[in-house]
Amino acid sequence: MHGNIWVVQNPQGSAQSMALVIRFQLRPSVSITINELGESSDQPCSNSLFKGLQVLLADDDDLNRAVTRKLLEKLGCSVSAVTSGFECLTSIGPASSPFQIVILELQMPELDGFEVAMRIRKFRSRNWPLIVAMTASADDDTWERCSQIGINGVIRKPVLLQGIAIELRKVLMQANKV
Amino acid sequence: MELVQIQRRLVDYTKSLFMEGFLDAQFLQLQQLQDDSNPDFVFEVVSLFFEDFEKLLNELTIALDQPNVDFKKLDSHVHQLKGSSSSIGAQRVKNACIAFRNYCDVQNIEGCLTCLQQVKQECYLVKNKFETLFRLEQQIMASGGSVPTIELGF
Repeated sequence: MHGNIWVVQNPQGSAQSMALVIRFQLRPSVSITINELGESSDQPCSNSLFKGLQVLLADDDDLNRAVTRKLLEKLGCSVSAVTSGFECLTSIGPASSPFQIVILELQMPELDGFEVAMRIRKFRSRNWPLIVAMTASADDDTWERCSQIGINGVIRKPVLLQGIAIELRKVLMQANKV
Repeated sequence: MELVQIQRRLVDYTKSLFMEGFLDAQFLQLQQLQDDSNPDFVFEVVSLFFEDFEKLLNELTIALDQPNVDFKKLDSHVHQLKGSSSSIGAQRVKNACIAFRNYCDVQNIEGCLTCLQQVKQECYLVKNKFETLFRLEQQIMASGGSVPTIELGF
């Protein structure tokens, strides 16, 4: 705790007085959130990893989209949101789209997240942009299917700040290793 | 009533909502997202939920009124309601939706009708709770105070 302790000795050599200084840091009030693993931890503040990260968010549900967008912005990301799979593809379309990560709800009407991901991987490079799926049902089959299509990560709904931060960090780290 | 008293009342009321299972941790998440750039975020999102709910309630009632009930369609509406209620932390609504989906799975009309009533009831209950919460917050802000953040230990 970056403290200090000292003793003032009297002429006989035994302790006359002792002083102890402990330095405490003032921390902002911390709210406890439960992450998916059931552990409680501090809220991750805007991380330099996420600062300015260009994210494309695709979710047809207004409420979920509003919440996820806010979560991403809280992390420091720069978010563009679309409401359908088609809009998503259109936004990524041109050869050099600005988005580094696409966050994709799997269950969307007309063109679902799986389809969108498959088309992105087919017509763009194998690893870019990074794709992270969002779904209320993240079972092994879903994960397997995502993995085969070339989706880089999966976030379980309802989305928590901790959940998004951990998964995005993992996906970005892995991308940097390749 | 003094500002401090209203603030304490808000904290106690919010905690009771968690104890009684009306709200879960997801609601805390929403509150954490509210900041100076978005001071009405929670209110907006919760309002959005109840707008959606009225539409979905309508769809559900119509779907169950058909001579041949389309359970797949019914299920997709309930799935949506489950998703949005879960996003705002309305735990009892979410649980009611889970039960509803189970009856959709086995195509039990009676069960579905009962669940519809249950879901409706839970929604109106939690709507009431939210209204009280927001009213207390408004009183605090009108008195020039700030809304206390809830810290819960689990």
